[in-house]
This record gives sequence, C-alpha cells and structure tokens, in this order.
Amino acid sequence: MAEEMKKQVVEIDQSIYDFKDEESEDLFYREQEGLTKEVVERVSQEKNDPQWMHDFRLKCLEIYHNTEMPDWGPSIEGLDMDRISTYVRSKEEMKSSWDEVPEDIKNTFEKLGIPKAERESLAGVGAQYDSELVYHNVKDEVAAQGVVYSDLESAMHGEYADMIKEHFMKLVPPTDHKFAALHGAVWSGGSFVYVPKGVKVEIPLQSYFRLNAKGAGQFEHTLIIVDEGADLHFIEGCSAPKYNVANLHAGCVELYVGKNARLRYSTIENWSKNMYNLNTKRAVVEENGIMEWVSGSFGSHTSFLYPTTLLKGDYSKMEYTGITFSGKGQNLDTGAKVIHTGVGTTSVINAKSISKDGGNGTYRSAVVIGPKAKKAKASVSCDSLMLDSISRSDTIPGMDIRTNDADIGHEAKIGRISDEAIFYLMSRGIKEEDAKSMIVSGFANPVSKELPLEYAVEMNNLIKLEMNGNM
Amino acid sequence: MINMQVNEMPASTYRWLHMNESHLKNDAAVFRKTLEKPSQVPEGVMISYDVEAHVAETVFAQKHEEMLQKEAVRISLPNGDLDRRHQAQVVRTGMGIDVDRLLEEEQVKATVITAKANCKIEEPVVFCDAVKSKEAVLSRQVIVAEENSHLTVVMSYDSPFDAEGFYGISTKLYVEKGADVTLVKVQILGRNTDHFDDIGGVVMDGGHVNLVVLELGAGRAWHGCHINLCGKQATLQDEMGYFCNGNQKLDINYVAEQNGNKTDSKMICRGILADASEKIFRGSLDFRLGSEGSVGDEQEDVLLLSDEVVNRTIPLIFCEEADVDGRHGASIGQLGDEMLFYMLSRGIDREMARKMMILARLQSITRQIPVEALRNRADAYVEQICERG
Repeated sequence: MAEEMKKQVVEIDQSIYDFKDEESEDLFYREQEGLTKEVVERVSQEKNDPQWMHDFRLKCLEIYHNTEMPDWGPSIEGLDMDRISTYVRSKEEMKSSWDEVPEDIKNTFEKLGIPKAERESLAGVGAQYDSELVYHNVKDEVAAQGVVYSDLESAMHGEYADMIKEHFMKLVPPTDHKFAALHGAVWSGGSFVYVPKGVKVEIPLQSYFRLNAKGAGQFEHTLIIVDEGADLHFIEGCSAPKYNVANLHAGCVELYVGKNARLRYSTIENWSKNMYNLNTKRAVVEENGIMEWVSGSFGSHTSFLYPTTLLKGDYSKMEYTGITFSGKGQNLDTGAKVIHTGVGTTSVINAKSISKDGGNGTYRSAVVIGPKAKKAKASVSCDSLMLDSISRSDTIPGMDIRTNDADIGHEAKIGRISDEAIFYLMSRGIKEEDAKSMIVSGFANPVSKELPLEYAVEMNNLIKLEMNGNM
Repeated sequence: MINMQVNEMPASTYRWLHMNESHLKNDAAVFRKTLEKPSQVPEGVMISYDVEAHVAETVFAQKHEEMLQKEAVRISLPNGDLDRRHQAQVVRTGMGIDVDRLLEEEQVKATVITAKANCKIEEPVVFCDAVKSKEAVLSRQVIVAEENSHLTVVMSYDSPFDAEGFYGISTKLYVEKGADVTLVKVQILGRNTDHFDDIGGVVMDGGHVNLVVLELGAGRAWHGCHINLCGKQATLQDEMGYFCNGNQKLDINYVAEQNGNKTDSKMICRGILADASEKIFRGSLDFRLGSEGSVGDEQEDVLLLSDEVVNRTIPLIFCEEADVDGRHGASIGQLGDEMLFYMLSRGIDREMARKMMILARLQSITRQIPVEALRNRADAYVEQICERG
C-alpha cells in the first residue's frame, strides 16, 4: 500500500505548474509598474488601438480612480497597483503554428499539455503568455463552418470590428466595479469567438492563460457570441508559477447566447497562491437559450469570482456547477449570480466548497427574480466540507423575488467528512488519508463529470495534490 | 428623533442587493417607558420594575468579558465582517448596538423578571400592553432564569387597527445552567405604527430557549434576535410567523451564535406576503470554534399571494468548526397548482383555499401561545385580515 501511494504521488508531477521562465529584456517588453495615464497611453499604442478604444481606455482609467474599493468580500490590502506591471509581452509576434512559437514559451505550454490536447481533442486553441497571445489556431474544418476564433485585437481591425465595438464591455461596463474599470483601461489579449446561426461546434475550443512574469497583471478579454441555434463548448484554463510578490488577474468574459443557442463555459482555475484573482464573467441569454457554467477553482491567494447570467429571453436557462478548494493561505470568495427577467426562465446553481489547512472558502450568490419573470424557477444548492477546525467556510446566498408567480428553492449544508464513510473505506483496507481523498474526489464528482475527460483528470489531480498538501 | 442602523448581517454581501442592514428613522420624541404590569405573578417569579439598565444587565457582565477574550484570539473572521461594531453590547442583540444607545439616551429603565433556581413555573408571566393611538413607547426587559428553573413569559402589544404611533421593545435573556425559558411575543399594532422588537440572550450549559414570535401588525416593523448558545448542550428553538399585506414592511434579522459544544439550534420562519407588502429575512447560523458536535437548522417558508410583493431572503451559515452539521433551506412561491387542484376538486373555492393556507401556516405558531385569550385574538386578527382581502 505504501508503495502504491508513493507511486501515486510520483505520477502527479508536482512541478507541472510551478516552474518559471526567465524573461530577459532583449526578448520581453515590460511596462513600468503603476497605473498612470502615460502607462495606459503606451499600452494603447503597443496594441495599435483604433481611436474609440484608445478613448475608452482613458475613460476607464478615470472611472477607476473615482471608484471605491469594494467594502465586502476578502481583503485585498496586499495588492498594491504601484507594484504591478500591467503589460508584459514577448517581442515575438503571435503564431499559428507551435513550431514557430519561441522555444521557452512553447516548452511551457508543452509541459502544460496544451499542444497535445489541441491535437487530440480540441477544435482550436488560444495560448496567452503574460499579456499577449503567443499562439492562436482553429482547425480548418471548424473555420469552414464559419466559426471565427481569433485573438481579439486582430478581430478589432478586421471584418468583425463593428461587432466587437457594439459588444465590447457593454455587458460588463467599466462602472460595474473598480476592477472592471481597471480591466477596461489596460486590457490585453484574449479571444473573440463567433459561432454562426445553426452551427454546432462538436469539439471544444480552449483558451489557456499563463502568467509567468513576477509582479505583473493579466487582463485578457474574452468575447463570445453564439448566434441563433448555435452550440459551443469553450474551455478556459490558467496557471502561473508562484512568487513572493503579488500578481493580479483582472480578466473579463462577456458571453452572448442567442435564441435557441447553447454555450457551455468551463474553467479550471489554478493560479499560483500569490495571485489576486478579480475576474468578471457575465452572460446574457436570449429566448430558449441555454448557458452552462462549469467551474473549478483551486488556485489564487484571493479570489472574487461570481459568473453572472442575465436570463433575458423567455424560457432561457442557466446552470452553474462549481467547486472551490480553499487551502492554506487562500481566501476564495466564489459563487454565481443570476437575474431572471424573462418569462419561464430557469436557473440551477450547484456549488461545492472544500476548506482545509486554514483556507477560507466563501460561497456567495444572488438570485434575483424581476417582476416580469413570471413562471420563473430557481434552485440553489450549496454543500460545504470543512476538513479541519483551522479553516473556515461561509455561505452567503441572497434572494430577491419581485413576483408571486415564481418558484424558488434553496438549500445549503455544511459539515465534515462523516466518520462512518471513513470507517467503511478503512475497513476495506484503504488508508485513512486515501479514504479522505477518495471521499473528497467523490464530493467533487458532480463538477468533474461535466468536464471533458482530460480536464476531469486534471481536476481530480489537483484535488489529490491539495489533499496531500503538495501545493 | 430616532435614526438607527439596525439588523446588520454578521458579514456583508453585494451592496446592490441592499440586504446588509436596515435603517430605522422616526421622529417620535416623548415616550411611555413601561409596559402594563402583569395582572398576576406566579410563585417562584420575582419582578423588579424601574431598574437602572446597568444594574439589570450586570448579570451578563462576566459572560461578556469571556466572549471578548475569545474574540480577541479568534483565528479568522468572515469576509466583510460587520459584527465588531456591536462588541460593546453586554449581550449581543439582533438589531444591534444602536438600540441600546437609543434606550440609554432616553434613560429607559428595565423590568427584571427572575425565575428562582429550581422552580418549574407552570403559569406564564403575561404582559399585555394595550397601546393607544399616537402613543410612543420604549421599554426594556431582562429575563433571568436561574439554574434549573422553567419559565414562560408572554408579551403582547395591541393597538387599534389604524392606530398611529411608535412601539419599541428590547428583551434580553440570561438562561443559566439547565434552565428553560419560553418567550412568546405577539404583535398586533396599528397599521400606521412603527415598531421594533429586539431580542438578545445568552444560554449556559444545558439551557434552553424557546421563542415563539408572531408579527402581524404595524406599518413598518423591525425584528431582530441574537441568541448566544455559549454553554455546552445549550439549545434554541425559534419559530416565527408573520402575515404582511397592504403596504406593510417587515425587516428581520435572526442569529444563532453557537459557541458551546453539542449545541442545537432550530430556526423556522413562516410567513405570508400579500398586496404590496415587503419583507426581508436574514437568518444566520454561526458556528464558532469550540462548537464541535453542534447542529443548526434554519428553514424559511414564504407564501406569496400577489404580484406586487417584494420578498428578500438571505439565509447565512458561518463556520469555523469542522465537526458541526449546519443546514438551511428556503421555499418561496405561491399556492401550488397541485394543492389548488386538490382543494378545488373537494369543492373548496380559490378564496377559501387561500384562507386555509394562510391560517394553516400561522396556526402552527398561534397554537403555541399558552394564553387562550391571546391565542384567540391572534387567530381572529388573521381571519379579519383574510376577510379584508
């Protein structure tokens, strides 16, 4: 049994995420730290922004300076914007073939398994390294269907320029909160996806974000438009090596799900434990559309993460399935928000949370049923596991209902791994620590079963690493 | 002029939900500061009137000191903690420190009701306050249940249906080892009255608190309750019922703070909202370090009878102890189609079915009122509201 356990640990390569690449000055451009008008002007120039985007960035900077920090949620006192570089990039241009990507960067993504995954199971990949995409490609057969999967900056200068201008930061306006404004001022990288009417993309598209630079921020923007009757699964992954200074992720995801369309957005978040993850994700769903969120949060020092769905169209639906694992030194405040405005709309939220080794896990949600959302149905279920008494787990779910013609149910549970379950497994010859690990994996199963196999395996491996205290 | 921030949640959430706290403003100035005395006092009960607050609350001092010391070494706080502002309260209440400050400013003295040790008092102590229109009342009580005593206290406040006025009451409980206190509160104030009812308590080893609360009247009502189960195997059973219609507004904050090991709390809130009424319910289970083996259960059931109601609910669980079992559930909606069909198929029309569902919900609370006349009054009031539509 001891040999089997050792074998299991060796099989999970602990260095898979925590390796650093040196970024020398001759190969990388790094903007000075701090957030000033001059920095924003230079970022805009670097990116060859059209005039409207240049003006937008400056407006966002003004909003940022005039907006207060949130007075709820985890403390972000350790985040000092004067010590964050908002723009770091390789001096090489983005490539569409892995062979042309600079060796060090390519090796990074090889270690993370991205090229292999692309070959075996993805319709297209966007790989972002620090502030810019270094690789972007979509399979020919998918492009032939009319699917657009492009880096956002190229799309802004091409035939989809007007579409992007019409949608960019309309769902998440810069006035939404301070870090939405920050994002608007210094955003860089990210993808634009357009799926035409009636097109079903059979295998997923993926973006992978790697923040290698120390004391830097990543502010990618993802804009996805799934037109009427179309269907897409989009996967997002992220990681970073750990430093002893703060890094910041303030990305933004805007999703438009058309009439009768379906979008599944899956994320495995594994930022390093020095990362402040202040990400904003929002979707609007038209008539009969379906939005599915699948979320696994394992990394970051501090997280504010609440994918939000506006069920605007009649009979539109949302389903959120998520798990958050808060370990030592982590304060992960996650959940979901849904606003029902259409008739007959349905939302289901299933959230799970595990806290261990002093981790602080908070589930936070909001369900709002507007006065016109007749026959709306909403269900929220939240399960929390506490693995020791030095951690904490809190559940803060708000509901605001403004019509009587709606049906809302909510339940939450908190507790520890049952002694009976551990005893049962140990009586079958399984060691106590293995038994706990199995039970926790089983607890996470409703999330992992929603993911493609490779990502489910990655998620289960992350859980095992957390349980073994090896992260 | 009254201007208080009340019913704060233990920790804040998204500002745009407007649920973190409430504000109570009223320009009432001259107050009656006592309740009508009970017509009889059972044997084993001692009641002292007009006791200086700092004297009445001396009983809480030692436990308050212990809680402050425990707080000082606390490993973690919930994100957006709001509780620290109220630490100066000798006993934490649901509405918070601003109520204590108001009572201090207005020099409201306390009525202290004490159940002597080992006395099992069968008859309830009953305070029935018949309030006149345009009257403003502020009062405070301290209920002390000495070791192994059993005591029931019933309080009702009643004024004519359209009465104006202001009615504020603060009740604090000190439940010693093995003692059992049942506190019943029935509010049937006039529709143009502002009302607050603030409860706080500490419960020692093996102590038990049973709260039965009925909020039926008042135009605007605030109700807060914070019970600290600080002793091992201390328990709380709390059932609240309400029926809001017209333009009534009800703001509720309940907290079961579980500090002792093997404590047990059960909070049930059942209500009906009709017309353009509004309600917010904040219910918190707070498992502190050391509460191993504790269980907490919070359930809310809301029947929505009209399209203009505003129902807001935030059931919270805070946990810093692994070995606990906490759960909450909320069910919100209108009369179910299946239930209506069942009723109609038995010859019961929609209006009668509606009335039956309202009465059924509230009678599960009213039948726990141990004073028959008061129970009948509450039932009759509910029927009266149902008839008014």
